[in-house]
Amino acid sequence: MIFKLAWKNISSRPLSTGLSIVLLSSSIMVIVLATLTINQMKLKFNDNANKIDLVIGAKGSRLQLILCNVFHIDYPTGNIFMEDVEFLTKHPFVKNAVPISLGDAYQQHRIIGTNKNFISEIYNATLEKGELFNKSSEVVIGSNVAKKLNLGNSFIGSHGVGESLHEHEDFKYLVVGVLKPTGEIIDELIITPLESIWNVHHDEYKKGSFDLKTAEEHDLHQLEDDKAEHSIDKKEITALLVNYNSPRAKFSIPGIINKKNSLMSADPAIEIKQLIDLIQPAVNILYFLALFIFGLSFFSIIITLVNSMKDRKYEIVMMRVGGASMKIIFISVILEGFYIGFLGSIIGLVLGHSLMEIMASFINFKYHYKFSGLVFDQFEIVLILITILIGMIAAIFPAIVAYKFDIAKVLKNKI
Amino acid sequence: MIQTKNISINYGSLILKFPEINLNSGDQLLIIGNSGSGKTSLLNILGGLISPNTGTVLLNDINLMSLSKNKVDNFRGKNIGFVFQTPHFIKSLTVNENLKLSQYLISEINQSRINILLEKVGLLNLKDSNIQNLSEGEKQRISIIRALINQPSILLADEPTSALDDESCNNVIDILTNLSNENSATLIIVTHDKRLKEKFSNQIDLNDF
Repeated sequence: MIFKLAWKNISSRPLSTGLSIVLLSSSIMVIVLATLTINQMKLKFNDNANKIDLVIGAKGSRLQLILCNVFHIDYPTGNIFMEDVEFLTKHPFVKNAVPISLGDAYQQHRIIGTNKNFISEIYNATLEKGELFNKSSEVVIGSNVAKKLNLGNSFIGSHGVGESLHEHEDFKYLVVGVLKPTGEIIDELIITPLESIWNVHHDEYKKGSFDLKTAEEHDLHQLEDDKAEHSIDKKEITALLVNYNSPRAKFSIPGIINKKNSLMSADPAIEIKQLIDLIQPAVNILYFLALFIFGLSFFSIIITLVNSMKDRKYEIVMMRVGGASMKIIFISVILEGFYIGFLGSIIGLVLGHSLMEIMASFINFKYHYKFSGLVFDQFEIVLILITILIGMIAAIFPAIVAYKFDIAKVLKNKI
Repeated sequence: MIQTKNISINYGSLILKFPEINLNSGDQLLIIGNSGSGKTSLLNILGGLISPNTGTVLLNDINLMSLSKNKVDNFRGKNIGFVFQTPHFIKSLTVNENLKLSQYLISEINQSRINILLEKVGLLNLKDSNIQNLSEGEKQRISIIRALINQPSILLADEPTSALDDESCNNVIDILTNLSNENSATLIIVTHDKRLKEKFSNQIDLNDF
């Protein structure tokens, strides 16, 4: 009965109660959104970054090198010669050294020229059906690419890692294998032998139409001089993905690489940490904003309830006359704070998750990174409890106001 | 049973003294007085809402002044029903919910008693209406039911008819006296409403005191 009374008392004043709940739920929404985003980002980044210890590529931005070759979202920094890094494949500290070559895509899915180790060693992916590629032009596709292509399909890649009008009409890829879902970025990729990429771009060297985007750092004069040599003898790759087998590698290999003029190495874990450090202040501002709104809603609850007590002066006094103890009156007002806190936190959580889900579908569409609004975290239970507690604390002062009404004095001013 | 002795209350330099009251259970008493005569103060003292400066009040052989604040609340809830000039209810609740709340605060919810009483005052059809949609006369009848819902031994009414027209006035007084009788509750009405004078044989006029 007392729960019902408290519930009816707040639900019968939808406007003022609503304002408190809207404020409270907005702050919860911002907290949930910011936390879900940063947590999922860290998780995705770290998951993918942990697969690879070092990326070696052309000089440029280290972050770009990582984003392009580990996360497949940015453009390549340029190409490097296979022979410059080939020594690493035999280096005692190196477990795997997998070359990748980028440049083409099919419907926003990047085509990665590499070898079988990319699939089996780096991503530990296994085949769902079909087989691994054995020769140029054969491809294995990730599970999400399989929504658009199937075993036995052939397709034409378009030039550039994003959308492009230029298609390699004379070169057809054939799907020979489909990978099981891994939840990693490999689900979004089309994997083919390095030779495919070299073959498809072979003619372009001759035509001189090699895309500058993928060879920004390339010396054009040198390109002119050794066209044939480049494409046949001096094989180019976009990057070499390295996994160590000794912790000592961390201190020696980057040094060796960075001494070479044309090469640069980047550690995904370090770059991602720096990236997150860059984003963190923005997230902190969001938290600060949320805390500010939370504070506002705290005062809004107090004001709402105090006004409500003043309006309900006679009701409360009547309850006292009818034998309600001060304790009952006090508890019923605290319960109103409880309901406001409960509603505010639940609505905030629902809004936060819905917004996250909408944002996730956008991110997924644009970058092929799966975020989700349907992931729940333990901190949310804590958040609900804290919000309810704050609602109840905010109700203490109004409850004291209600509890202190002097029956005789209120009744004296009867009308 | 109600017994008072030497009660008086001070408002600044004004000292109000009240006549002694001796009622057996089931008695009915009308106390008449002009405004300022202290009739509401007397009723509030009898109901344990305020304490007098001097004197004692014995209700069912219990000295109200000897009880703690919480005990007085509890005693009042169990033994005394109040009817005021302007009835106030929990606006967010229906007629039935208001009556149930009154039961809940003191004893247990007893829906059949609510129904019987509503039937007696002819308002059973308004059971699930919002309390705010009732007329003043209807609200006053509900407030009498509320006062009697926990079967108190004493019913105190403060100007229960002053805001009502003649027809409602008669109706409310009939209900007050009949229901008090049926529940064997002692009834005390304080009023300045002259219309009530002829209806009660047992009267005290505070103006004469």
